[in-house]
Amino acid sequence: MACVSRVVVRAVRPRAFINCSKPRASTAGPSYSTDAGASTGENPAGAAEKPKKGFAAAYELQSDLKLQQQEERSGGGSAAQPARRSSARQDASFASLLRHSPLMQMGPAKDKTVIGKVFHVVQDDLYIDFGGKFHCVCKRPEADGERYRRGSRVRLRLEDLELTSRFLGASTDTTLLEADATLLGLVESREGKAKE
Amino acid sequence: MAARVLMKAIHSLRSPGVVGAALSCNGHTFSSAAAAARPAAPSVDAGVNEKILNVPLTQPDYFRLSELFTVKDLFEARVHLGHKKGCRHRLMEPYLFGSRLDVDIIDLEQTADHLQRALNFTAHVAYRGGIVLFVSRRRQFAHLVERTAQECGEYAHTRYWQGGLLTNAPVQYGPGVRLPDLIVFLSTLNNVFQTHVGIRDAAKMNIPTVGIVDSNCNPSLVTYPVPGNDDTPVAMELYCRLLKMTINRAKDKRKRMELLKGI
Repeated sequence: MACVSRVVVRAVRPRAFINCSKPRASTAGPSYSTDAGASTGENPAGAAEKPKKGFAAAYELQSDLKLQQQEERSGGGSAAQPARRSSARQDASFASLLRHSPLMQMGPAKDKTVIGKVFHVVQDDLYIDFGGKFHCVCKRPEADGERYRRGSRVRLRLEDLELTSRFLGASTDTTLLEADATLLGLVESREGKAKE
Repeated sequence: MAARVLMKAIHSLRSPGVVGAALSCNGHTFSSAAAAARPAAPSVDAGVNEKILNVPLTQPDYFRLSELFTVKDLFEARVHLGHKKGCRHRLMEPYLFGSRLDVDIIDLEQTADHLQRALNFTAHVAYRGGIVLFVSRRRQFAHLVERTAQECGEYAHTRYWQGGLLTNAPVQYGPGVRLPDLIVFLSTLNNVFQTHVGIRDAAKMNIPTVGIVDSNCNPSLVTYPVPGNDDTPVAMELYCRLLKMTINRAKDKRKRMELLKGI
């Protein structure tokens, strides 16, 4: 496809090239790409040995991405494809991982609704983990109390990610090692499976 | 024939049965078992022994521990989450990436580097037959730490730390006690948010320490600090799993090297 476009460009270009009267460009390849006025970026580099610049590089990148997308959609793909994708994900820096993480995207924790999972129950206290640094502890509600077991998914409204406070005379905050949230209710699963 | 003699010597040096039974809550049986378990009885050729001990020191990552974890694994285990800004220790500021809405974020690029060094050191200590002691005063993870220690054939101390445990050991546990060669602190704070006494005592007794330091901990005096979250169960399970894999890998490597060189 790239060679076809090269042929097309060579047929069209010379007219514009003569009009522009450039002193440089002895070879055909680089002159097309540096001809900024006449071209609209449709200048492939000349030989295949030269590193592709401009449109050719962009075209190759886009066709690779499209191929990747098609293979993803087909669900198959060779072993090389998943390896390339996983290595790309592993190369993602900590800063970009952090930036796109739900905890950062959420913003201030006050009055945000999250889904948590009950990981421990002590009579009427439910210890719920919602993906933050700490868990929160909520009282078992009267409505549907028996349905709150270990492993139940619940909806919470967060107040604070960590309960800390500076007391008089202290040099650092005292922390309770707990988050603060209000229990809104169970997450109803559509599949109809009841949590045992 | 020589190989069989060699195997017997190896088993007497590193009898795993005695090691496993020596795990104890209050540390009293720790000393007597340690004294009995590892007598020095080298019946190996001196040159071969030197080769076994010196070859791993020539390469930076002899046990290939960098393939055990990635920054993404640390991120998914919530290792980067620190305490609130008000709880921050001044000396942890170099290890922090920043602070977001008052919550400190630990820089995982630095953590990965520190963790790699700490695991490498632990592996070398385990390879050379050293005793590793896991210490944590967090009651939430006491069982996890003890189970980790048991599964890799090392020791754990997750209860009240008596004052003279390291510094007064010959008096408290009898003469000729062997102290640990490495102490791994899975949380460097005790139950009242002060630095664990074991860090200072290990420094006094010239015992190297590896410590997971959170944003409210003091990283000084820890030989190999690893800045990271020590409050979330996922993070603690990750550390325990990595340490267990490191120690087991190092011990297996040692057995293989001895078999190879012995022949």
